[in-house]
Amino acid sequence: MTDVVSTASRPGRRATSDVVRRLPEYLMIWVPLLLSAAHLISFSLWTIWISFTPSTLIPVSGWVGLRNYNSVLASRNWQIAFDNLLLFGSAFVLLSLIAGLLLAILLDQRIRGENVLRSIFLYPLAVSFVVTGTVWSWLLNPGIGIQKLVHDLGWTSFRFDWLIDRDMAIWTIVIAAIWQSSGFAMALFLAGLRSVDGDIIKAAQIDGAGPVRTYWRVILPTLWPITITVVVVQLQFAISAFDLVRALTNGGPGIATQLPALVVYDLMFQRGQLGRGAAAAVLMLLILLAVLLPYAAWRYVQRRQATHA
Amino acid sequence: MPITTTRRRLLAGSAAALALPAFARAQGAVKPRLTAISQWSAGSDGAAITALGKKFEEKGGVWQHSPVPGFTTEMMNKLRAQIIAGDPPACSQLKGPEIAAWSKIAPTVDLDAVVAAAGYEKVVAPDLAKLHKPGGKWIALPLQIYSTNMLFLSRRAMDKAKADKVPVTWADFNDLAEKMKASGVTFPVANGGTRADDGQKFEASLAGISPTAYRAAIMNLDKKALEGPEIKAAFAQVRKITNWMDPNVGAQPYATNLKRFVDGDMGMMIMGGWAQGVLRNAGFKFDDFMIAPGPSDNGKPVFLLNADAFIFWQRKEPDLQAGQALMAQLVMDPAIQTMYSQITGSIPVRTDVDLSGEGWSDGQRRTAAALKDAVANNQAVLSLAHNMAQENGLTAAMIDVFTEYVKNKTITPDQAVTRLAEAVEGAR
Repeated sequence: MTDVVSTASRPGRRATSDVVRRLPEYLMIWVPLLLSAAHLISFSLWTIWISFTPSTLIPVSGWVGLRNYNSVLASRNWQIAFDNLLLFGSAFVLLSLIAGLLLAILLDQRIRGENVLRSIFLYPLAVSFVVTGTVWSWLLNPGIGIQKLVHDLGWTSFRFDWLIDRDMAIWTIVIAAIWQSSGFAMALFLAGLRSVDGDIIKAAQIDGAGPVRTYWRVILPTLWPITITVVVVQLQFAISAFDLVRALTNGGPGIATQLPALVVYDLMFQRGQLGRGAAAAVLMLLILLAVLLPYAAWRYVQRRQATHA
Repeated sequence: MPITTTRRRLLAGSAAALALPAFARAQGAVKPRLTAISQWSAGSDGAAITALGKKFEEKGGVWQHSPVPGFTTEMMNKLRAQIIAGDPPACSQLKGPEIAAWSKIAPTVDLDAVVAAAGYEKVVAPDLAKLHKPGGKWIALPLQIYSTNMLFLSRRAMDKAKADKVPVTWADFNDLAEKMKASGVTFPVANGGTRADDGQKFEASLAGISPTAYRAAIMNLDKKALEGPEIKAAFAQVRKITNWMDPNVGAQPYATNLKRFVDGDMGMMIMGGWAQGVLRNAGFKFDDFMIAPGPSDNGKPVFLLNADAFIFWQRKEPDLQAGQALMAQLVMDPAIQTMYSQITGSIPVRTDVDLSGEGWSDGQRRTAAALKDAVANNQAVLSLAHNMAQENGLTAAMIDVFTEYVKNKTITPDQAVTRLAEAVEGAR
């Protein structure tokens, strides 16, 4: 207490002691931030370097130009993985967005037991992807899962064998991923819905708008910043998806459900081709940047508009 | 004082390390110690290596085994980390052409003198020996052998089909499968859905059709052989096999279906000899199944070799060097190989071990006999599906083709031949 009084009376010393007082805060924020940034950047640069070397079992120096990139891009594995990423990424993001929004709107009706339901919908997020993948691999396995259950109940012509159907198997990953993460979208949307100004809703109601019209024309348009956040977060999950696929299909049947992260792991650690694996990792980074850079630009524009307004 | 002694010993050790007799000298002076890493931590594999460790300790050694459970990849990641850190284990599990590949990234121990002293080379299958002496010198020692193409027959499925003859050729195999199908065996071929599983279907087919073509195409990657008629015939045989399999296996291991196999719901299984141990551990009796060498069109057994091995990494410490010498002697010892194989269900590397006595199963005797015959007829070849024929990168590229072919019945044998040749070209 006395300290505060004495520093307040002497402005020159106030600044220094302010720094001293806030030192723990700076340390808490900047040291980990700098460490992780250094970590991230140095290893990214290192991976980029490795991708241009002839490294196989262990990293070696040397220069092979774009050879690793050409061989990855020409491989069937990568081509399948890239097509799958486009399909999986768009289907998963779109569907989890719709599912999350629907859940949020339904929960927003001030129903009884909202807390319980919210926890239930959020709960899958607490489960690791490996567990999700394993459980769904049992549920979706036609020999032991849902198909068998329906058969045993008497409907013997029922077919649900996507897991072993190489054209449909990618959709099993979409299903499991949506189950896991639509709760996350729901939570964000719910927060958004709750922050809509009550007066606007009342005004809409006074103007004679029904509930559907109110949502569609008044409430949802306020949610689009949240929507973009959800899309970006889900997209980067989709691009880096690894554990879920590994546990659910392991890239199979055959190599029908390969995804870029699986290809990277496979090249680096199973095939002993570090250079090619690094090249695939760099390609993944480029895909991620294609999503994140526009987002960062958009955020920048948003902030400038906010300060100018 | 203690520090000086250690340093002096170290100096003596490193100077002597250049010459092999150092082994003998070091052994006399210090207590042998062995640092080893492997993936064998549980089940019969864990039990076998623990028993080996006991023998090592009985001989006065210090046994420091660090198992890395899980896939072989995890063990390799640990090995890679230790090598990069300049601290490799005195010996580690490694097999097939990976021995040659890894020996390029860190110095290994020249075992020629110990191997010669034991007269070991005469009793090891030639193709196998070659893998363990990549630069012409022994740097690794095989530990045990499995065949990846044993044919397991379900006794109950055989009864259903009223069959008692073990199929010898692929034509016999196909006839029996049709017979089983007709007499109510739901899936004449028992299977899993892993990549290795799919790879084994192909290698067993090709080696059974022509071991010469297998050697040329798969082991030597001869371009002409890779596009030859035998490869197409092998893919056609694999297609027949896949039509008899349960498609609902996803990526499950073969062991999931063992009960259905024993019950006669599935008829025949092409699997490595290790399945015998798994069947026995699952509580099934020897009467429930029969084991024979995999189909071979020329009637003589074809043996697809899969062998676990230890590679020895150069260390300067005299106690580790003494440990390596002791380990090498133990691994080559017929009594130790007998002990090891009896625990895991494999067969000994030495072709001169007598398997007629107690403790061996009929399956093991038949496997050992098949190996002897196959070696005599030059029909013992190296398994691709279990990383014995090619380095991991090439193996994986080829297995991509096999696993896609097994899972996708719209691919024709002709297309598969082209894809295989392309995959080999792309991975080289």
